[in-house]
Amino acid sequence: MFDLLPHILNGLTLGLLFALIALGFMLIVGLMEQINLAHGSLFALGAYFAMQLMGPRPPLPADLAQSWLALPLGWRYAATLILAPAAVGLVGIAIEFCMRRTYGKDPLYGLLLTFGAAMVIEEMIRLTWGTRDYVVQVPQAVSGGFIFGDLIWSTYRFYAAGIAAAVIGLVWLLIEKTSFGATVKAGAHDSEIVRALGINLTRLRLLVFVFGTMLAAVAGIIVAPIWGIRPHMGVDAVIPAFLVIVLGGVGSFWGAVVAGLLVGLAVGLSGAYASEWSLLSMYVLLVAVVTFRARGLWGKKSVLEA
Amino acid sequence: MKQREISRRSVLQGSLMASALAGTASYFGPWKENRVWAQGAAKPIKLGLTCDASGQYGNSGQDDLRGIQMAIDEANAKGGVLGRKITWITADTETTPATGSRLAERFITREDCTILIGAVHSGVANAITQVAAKNGVIYLNTNSSAPSEAGENCSRIKFVWDGNGTNFSKASVANAVNSIGKKWMLLTNDYVWGHTTSAATKAQVEGAGGKIVDNLLVPQNTRDFTAYLLKIQQAKPDVVATAVGGDDIKALREQVAQLKLDGKPAWINNQQDWPDVWGSPDSLFGVFGTTWYHKLALPGVADFVKKWQATNKEGSIPVPGNVSYNGYMATRELLRAIERAGSTNNVKIIKELENLKVSATDRMQHFDAYMDPVTHQMQQTIYLARRNPKPADKTDLYEIISWTEPKAVADTDAQAKCKLVPYEQVPTVDS
Repeated sequence: MFDLLPHILNGLTLGLLFALIALGFMLIVGLMEQINLAHGSLFALGAYFAMQLMGPRPPLPADLAQSWLALPLGWRYAATLILAPAAVGLVGIAIEFCMRRTYGKDPLYGLLLTFGAAMVIEEMIRLTWGTRDYVVQVPQAVSGGFIFGDLIWSTYRFYAAGIAAAVIGLVWLLIEKTSFGATVKAGAHDSEIVRALGINLTRLRLLVFVFGTMLAAVAGIIVAPIWGIRPHMGVDAVIPAFLVIVLGGVGSFWGAVVAGLLVGLAVGLSGAYASEWSLLSMYVLLVAVVTFRARGLWGKKSVLEA
Repeated sequence: MKQREISRRSVLQGSLMASALAGTASYFGPWKENRVWAQGAAKPIKLGLTCDASGQYGNSGQDDLRGIQMAIDEANAKGGVLGRKITWITADTETTPATGSRLAERFITREDCTILIGAVHSGVANAITQVAAKNGVIYLNTNSSAPSEAGENCSRIKFVWDGNGTNFSKASVANAVNSIGKKWMLLTNDYVWGHTTSAATKAQVEGAGGKIVDNLLVPQNTRDFTAYLLKIQQAKPDVVATAVGGDDIKALREQVAQLKLDGKPAWINNQQDWPDVWGSPDSLFGVFGTTWYHKLALPGVADFVKKWQATNKEGSIPVPGNVSYNGYMATRELLRAIERAGSTNNVKIIKELENLKVSATDRMQHFDAYMDPVTHQMQQTIYLARRNPKPADKTDLYEIISWTEPKAVADTDAQAKCKLVPYEQVPTVDS
């Protein structure tokens, strides 16, 4: 049992990262009923923007770049956590402008559009930054390892899990405890009534989409120092994101969080005790759950169960 | 997780191909060539370059391509081979065996390529080999180094140019068992190269009196290694031997360095391909194998680096590494073999390559190299390296700590496993 504990702890921290990756994806699916296949590419874009901002040659005028680089790394990192998602948010605006023609039509249109956007973003990344790998610097205070229970642990991983938990909490507050969240949920439930009440649904959808996009970017920045930065890193994110929301139940906030933790535990424990199953374990978990509960853990009752 | 990547890139390639077919290619491609032949010039020799551009070995595949192109450009600058120009076509194999196989089929049957070159992933190389062998097309496996490629999966039409897992294990393991310790763990990429390389390492460890306490299998595209690293810490081995490649080894290196596990246990990384090292040099640790380094103090190396840099100004990697070197050497030797054979007949070229001997000076290595006629694997100098504590410049990442002559690291197991078909059973190909 004592041997097992480190792997449970590792699985839970990994699970929080999976939940963070899935969060923006879940919001857009749950509140807009649009599957954003560009989520992984926006995740990658967040990491690239952060790398560019933090790197030795930030894309700023010479004077400004000098002042920026003079700031302590921790400050720059904190600012990057806001600036890079904001920049990715602009890309989100562009995608949403293209996507709004597909609302209310066959969901396939939205799927194809975001699929195309994913391809465009990935190729733009290749054209801009090439195929090589990059590293994001993290502040000294959160790098390296620490000893706990006779083992060395990654400081950054716990820091990343902490940030993930904080972001998840903030999103929950926004959705559940603010009038904005209530309006968004009402819009998802019955858009005609919301529009009839005089609420600008077009703007509301734009805000939700851009918010989801920015969450993808935040996840990219947080996870990049662990996974590394490369053009196709988005694929590594979009599949677990999809899996987590299906497992948790489409549209369920806490379903996504719990599913993220379960996937993290499955990957962490299988990595230690049946390593060849570590990637497959998340798919096995999904199959096991949807076989008995097609709607996912906390999903609404679907036609599959009618 | 690969499925999305495949379909994305396939769709993109499909669109690009469709537009190319509908547009310029049909006007300027075949017509131009036909006009040239009509004027009496010899028909070009067309090569199919099966290099990855995406997936786990996308980076390495493109580096391979740079070396191959350089050898072709050099030959064309001298007037081609047998007075014929060399042309080539390439497309992304996506580091996926099924795509590699499909691509090989297309290159041979629709693009009229009579020779195929390029691979980094052993599964992809094996898939291409099957198609090439069926058609009698010569295939140069430039950079995939599973022992099985020159062992049970060898082929009369295939030549393997990189050192393999057994070569690297023979160069490093016995010494490490004696000098570091007998308790070993294996970290193995869960596909043919990982398995065959770890099997070779296991045999060497046990042969030297060491013991393998665990073998952790790493699925391809693993990004998070913490579970493995915790397991390694709990087991407390003396040495961890990895056979992990491409994007996976990059992620592993980052995480080992972050946890500062790069000192104890000792790490032996079977081989480090240069594109996997470039980009995060700070996480380079342990002892690892290679076949070439751009700062080897040997005649010709500096000139080669300069020439490579002149033809690859736009590349993301500023110097040639082992992958580009293998691509270059394989292609150069193929073109020379055609010249010596005085023919593009496949069997004649195969016989030339089977008898290939290259001097150390010509190879820019420490010892003469030769093609093993039984397995079709290039037998060459194997270098062991570690991170350079005093780099002369930002590309000087390696410190070469030993070089072993080809015979001392020869893969004798492969010779017993490899069964080449007689020449008469190879379909005739002539371009």
